[in-house]
Amino acid sequence: MIVDARMTEVSELETSGESRWRVLRLLLRKRIALICIGVLLVFYVAGFFAPLVAPHDPNRQELTVEARLQSPSSQNLLGTDRLGRDLLSRVIYASRTTILFTIAVIVTGGLILGLGLGLLSGYRGGWVDNLIMRVGELLGGIPTLFLMLVIAAAYRQRINDLAFWMKDNTFLGDDARPLLYFLIIVGVAVPFAWVGSARIVRSQVLAIREQEYVLAAEALGVSTVRLLFRHILPGVLPVYIVGLSASMAGIAGAELALSWLGLGVDPTTPSFGTMIFEAGGVRTFQEYPHLLLVGAIPIILFLFAWNLLGDAMVDLVEPRTFRR
Amino acid sequence: MSNRTLAIMMGAVALLIVAVAVVFILVLSGGDDDDSSSVPAGTSEASSGPEDSGNRSEDRNNASPSVSGICAENRIIVPGDSPATVFDPIQVGDASTAEYTAEIFGGLVSLDLDLNIVPDIAEDWEVSDGGRVYTFFLRDDVVFHNGRRVTADDVKYSFERAADPANFSPTVLDYLGDIVGVRDKFNGVADQVSGVEVIDEYTLRIELDRPVSYFLHQLTYTVAYVVDREQIEQDPDGWTRNPNGTGPFRLKVWRPLEEIILIPNDRYHLGPPKLDEVKFSLGGGSLLTRFENDEIHVAGVPGIELAGVLTGESPLSEFYRPVPQLSIFYIGMNVNEPPFDDPLVRQAFALASNREAINEVLFYDALIVADGILPPTLPGYSADVTSYGYDPDRAGELLSRSRYAGNMPRIILTYSGTAGDSPDRLQALQQQWEDALGVEVEIEAIEWSAYLRELRRGTFQMYAAGWIADYPDPENFLGKLFASDSRLNHTGYSNEQVDALLEQAATLQDQDARYRLYHKAEQIIVDDAPIIPTFWTIGHYLVRDCVQNWPDVGTIVPKYRYIEIDASRE
Amino acid sequence: MSQGLAGYIIRRLFWAVPVILSVSILVFLLVRLAPIDPIDSLLGLRYDEEMAERLKAKYGYDRPLHIQYLKYVQNLFQGDLGVSTRHSDFSVAEVVIPKVRVSAGMGVMAIALAFGLGIPVGVYAALMRGTPIDPLTIGSWLLIDSIPVFVSAIWVPWFLALKLGWIHLAYEGVLHPNILVPVLLMSLPGVAGVARLMRASVIQVISEDYVRTARAKGLREHTVVITHVVRNALLPMITVIGLSLPGIFTGSLFIELIFGIPGIAAEALAAVRAPDYDVMLGLSLFIFVLFILANIAIDIAYGFIDPRVRVGAAKGG
Repeated sequence: MIVDARMTEVSELETSGESRWRVLRLLLRKRIALICIGVLLVFYVAGFFAPLVAPHDPNRQELTVEARLQSPSSQNLLGTDRLGRDLLSRVIYASRTTILFTIAVIVTGGLILGLGLGLLSGYRGGWVDNLIMRVGELLGGIPTLFLMLVIAAAYRQRINDLAFWMKDNTFLGDDARPLLYFLIIVGVAVPFAWVGSARIVRSQVLAIREQEYVLAAEALGVSTVRLLFRHILPGVLPVYIVGLSASMAGIAGAELALSWLGLGVDPTTPSFGTMIFEAGGVRTFQEYPHLLLVGAIPIILFLFAWNLLGDAMVDLVEPRTFRR
Repeated sequence: MSNRTLAIMMGAVALLIVAVAVVFILVLSGGDDDDSSSVPAGTSEASSGPEDSGNRSEDRNNASPSVSGICAENRIIVPGDSPATVFDPIQVGDASTAEYTAEIFGGLVSLDLDLNIVPDIAEDWEVSDGGRVYTFFLRDDVVFHNGRRVTADDVKYSFERAADPANFSPTVLDYLGDIVGVRDKFNGVADQVSGVEVIDEYTLRIELDRPVSYFLHQLTYTVAYVVDREQIEQDPDGWTRNPNGTGPFRLKVWRPLEEIILIPNDRYHLGPPKLDEVKFSLGGGSLLTRFENDEIHVAGVPGIELAGVLTGESPLSEFYRPVPQLSIFYIGMNVNEPPFDDPLVRQAFALASNREAINEVLFYDALIVADGILPPTLPGYSADVTSYGYDPDRAGELLSRSRYAGNMPRIILTYSGTAGDSPDRLQALQQQWEDALGVEVEIEAIEWSAYLRELRRGTFQMYAAGWIADYPDPENFLGKLFASDSRLNHTGYSNEQVDALLEQAATLQDQDARYRLYHKAEQIIVDDAPIIPTFWTIGHYLVRDCVQNWPDVGTIVPKYRYIEIDASRE
Repeated sequence: MSQGLAGYIIRRLFWAVPVILSVSILVFLLVRLAPIDPIDSLLGLRYDEEMAERLKAKYGYDRPLHIQYLKYVQNLFQGDLGVSTRHSDFSVAEVVIPKVRVSAGMGVMAIALAFGLGIPVGVYAALMRGTPIDPLTIGSWLLIDSIPVFVSAIWVPWFLALKLGWIHLAYEGVLHPNILVPVLLMSLPGVAGVARLMRASVIQVISEDYVRTARAKGLREHTVVITHVVRNALLPMITVIGLSLPGIFTGSLFIELIFGIPGIAAEALAAVRAPDYDVMLGLSLFIFVLFILANIAIDIAYGFIDPRVRVGAAKGG
């Protein structure tokens, strides 16, 4: 019986233009989703205010035998690494790297490109639609990592020159270099990140355009901009947000993978990828399990929370998106 | 969804699967054709390989995973890297291929485990004309693996072939370039290497452009190995799959990407190997885990796992063998770029580097702090040379006296960064410099090929580097890295006195006097500090107890013929 | 209808040619214009102008770019992918094909495993909908999906090899049992995704009329699930399998790196780092062609579910 009840809710959502935000309201009724949102909030707040939250300077070394590779203690809550740096502070700064990356990719790739191109593609149709979808296909076919590697390998020198120039000539100062590295990996990830969300938006637009209230508005001669923003966009948004949240874990995972390969952010900026890499292999894990665990557990928790949240949201609209 | 739609959709999906399957099959079958056509020589042996190894691995799996399992047979399993080139001695440029090639082939002379020059194909030699002419007397019992006897003509052919411009040998000029006529032939000016002359069947004379005291060392490199003319001419494309050399081992199985198996050459003129088989395992997971899991006899320890091996409780620490390498890590400073054009700044940085602390904390005292440039295991090493010790106060004082006191330009330390390389020790140095000198140094990582290019162009301000000896002679360190006219001198260092000493030493015949000149030059260089020598490197190895006579040798020499497996020692 | 289908396929294939050519130009330019040079790493510290010139002439890198490209395409049509500079003059085919086989072998096993596990899990979760078992099942697979592969690649060998002594980590080829652990690590993170889709598909099918009819006819629940629900729910999954097929070849870089498996992802990484022009080009084109083929097939499949897609595509094509 419960099965049937839920099905009704979803089909209601499909037909009714009025209760568009029902998805999100339904979501907030799910306990698991609330827990996930709570966990994610902790990460985002701690990461955002890292300089205030972190107990130590994440890069300050203590190069003595006594201070290296300490297990968690009252002084260093998560222990220390090879160079005697405080791991808790590094975890907090690593969260910062991760969350800033997710935000940057979402804002540029997902929001501007994904939503914009998806709307354009679905609304205009015809050759515009065709072109956007083909370009997306093309981008999807180029191995991202490969491009990332080429850029890292080829342009590192110039990037560095630019970074040093920015450091001297802009207000950014010491933050210039990490920021630039960061922008570059974001910049490379973005062209690929929009394809998925653009597809979702496009299929939503196609569906909504056929609905009576939109057809009516069109017949009344409402301007394109007004039509898009007043009638179509609000209908697209819930599903779009659902799609984004489902892809968040993948975006964060990309940063993790790049840093593990040594291609991510500037090598001295803390990141979960480099922390896991520096934790060594099976042997070191047996002797110093905390090295791997303090890097791995937070990022697993972060990815898990996004995955669960994404799943909870997709679950509410799935039968429809599944058919495209 | 109507039934009709479903049916059509299934058809489309079937089409998709067929399309991908076709690509798949094309790729796979194409591969088979390719293999059978390009491996004519090795096919018979290679095809017998899989069965053998299949049985073996079954045996291994059936045996209880006790230590005796891996030591029960008279063979050694070691990790190896996939060879980057074919087994053609004149093409070899990388260490992994050189290791296999050194076991399969041989040259006029060879290195023993203490890195002394010992006879190989030549049983004796005479040096005349002040070190310019070498006359080699060949053994008359040296045969190729197929039983054909080696004569002076084969040696001459091998040198001619190495110098042939059509063969594009990447190493011939570096190792054989001092022989009269090699350069001319390589540059297309001459057809013959006039400096290599066959006197009779077992006598060969080699004439050099100038007396080079390390010439015999150069002859130990793979490019000088003797190859079989008959085989190469018969099968110019495929011979390297089944190379016919004169070395202690023969190539039995080469399954690219999987394994290389060598078996003894029973007619080896210096005494046949004692092992029945050497198996190089080319892929696979973490070496440490495989060693701990009794899968391999020997494993290298990556720097990042040292902590897991060297701390007291580790069950692996008893197998640990530090093997001094003929190499050095150093920080190079560009003496033509500010601030390192002022020797005081260079010296201040050297004095501010606490190498002992880095060695103790990051490397568990496994490395040797470089108190000079020439490594202790190098013939001609001197303990009298000393480098700047850690003295932050004096460092600060020197810096305050330098031209750049108070107006220090930005300093960038570049290293070649790849996955698998954590810049721990550079970050530690960075902190020490900041603490002692108040100078912030930025660390930058660049890709290996770009690193090499920029090194060559001399654009780095400060860089982390390492140098591994090509042949064990002081010239290979001091002459290559610090002579003003050496193209490997990347710091731009130039000192007339050093140049004169190096020049004089290069041609001197009296070894002791020669070494004294090098020590003098070495001390001058270290004092001038174009580089901060940080560590003499150590290879970190784990070796099972049952492996007898595993040589702790820091460079590539034919070594597997000495090794035995003693099952009782486990 | 079948004629229309054939026409559509031909049009799509026809359109694939310019797309593949433009990608080849794109990648070619990307590779050649980047300030990295195979000659640098080939000669390394022994670099010398004279030698560099000779090598450039040997590989044809001294000619104008468009000539190089045309030459490349010409050779391509003759089945010649060029030579690998990183592996001294082995042909690209010699270098890449054995690795493609390794990656393909592993990829097929991994995909089979991911779907083999994911489909039953999805069906189970769908049937348990409304009970706590449903979110628990999906949730636990999502947790596995959240563990980065380079973390599980430490935990799993530690446990299976050292604690239990069950496995060996030597690489003995794709057909050797040693490959199982890498394949498992490659496929497990994908199970959650498959299970989710399957679950959604089953839920959708359950609500269809014919299932209700079957139930109403009094067929046993078991029979209904097997004969009607699962069979029909599987159909869309076939498309998903199709979508994931090119992924077989791109495989998993991390698994290859960590377990020392000589697949194409690790080769691509090394080729980029070297750099090795022809291997880079050859690999990216190979993967792209597979990708295009799979996309065409999927579009065809969708075209029959949703006419809008077909019309749009047909207009453009």
